[in-house]
Amino acid sequence: MATSLSYREKSLYASLAAELLVYGPYFFLHQQNSVNKVAGMIVAIIALQAVLQLIIAIITRNRVTDERDHLIELRGYRAGYLTIATLMVVGLGMLWFHATFGQLHLDSRMVGLHFLSVFFGMLVVADIVKTAAQIIAYRRTL
Amino acid sequence: MPVIRNQIRELRAMREMTQQELADRIGVTRQTVIAIEQDKYSPSLETAFKVALVLGVSLEQCFQYDPHGKR
Repeated sequence: MATSLSYREKSLYASLAAELLVYGPYFFLHQQNSVNKVAGMIVAIIALQAVLQLIIAIITRNRVTDERDHLIELRGYRAGYLTIATLMVVGLGMLWFHATFGQLHLDSRMVGLHFLSVFFGMLVVADIVKTAAQIIAYRRTL
Repeated sequence: MPVIRNQIRELRAMREMTQQELADRIGVTRQTVIAIEQDKYSPSLETAFKVALVLGVSLEQCFQYDPHGKR
């Protein structure tokens, strides 16, 4: 039986593509992080998402969302929350370990940027997990 | 895992109603109707009542609880 994608599913695939397209190069190709790059990435993801969501809204005639969409959305947010909570605990544990055993050698001028980059990375991973979990839930239909 | 079984597909076919028509009348997406018909999603009580109302049958004729069923 043919099951074409609903409006929400198309929107999620577009979100995941935008996230991977913008965040991927930032975290895996850029060697030097900076506040400007973080700001640029935020602007890029907002702009790309706006364009993609607009295109999907235009090409999708039926934009109904229902109770199943809301349940899947909640399931995604739960997965995202568990991811960021786990990353926070692991990250803080590593910070404590390195600080305690004297292996943390951060340039004091760059500490803020390091933390910004690490916490932003956690948010990005959690967001990608959230979107992926929602897509999987749609495919498994709960 | 207990499962809510249903006869929506058969009842819909008897009335020559498409999945999209049923979805529009109960206010859900066609994908949700498909998921319900395949026993992969148990609808809320409100949606279950709407389905029964649109198909013109009682809730029990439309949905059955299977405590030993598997999805």
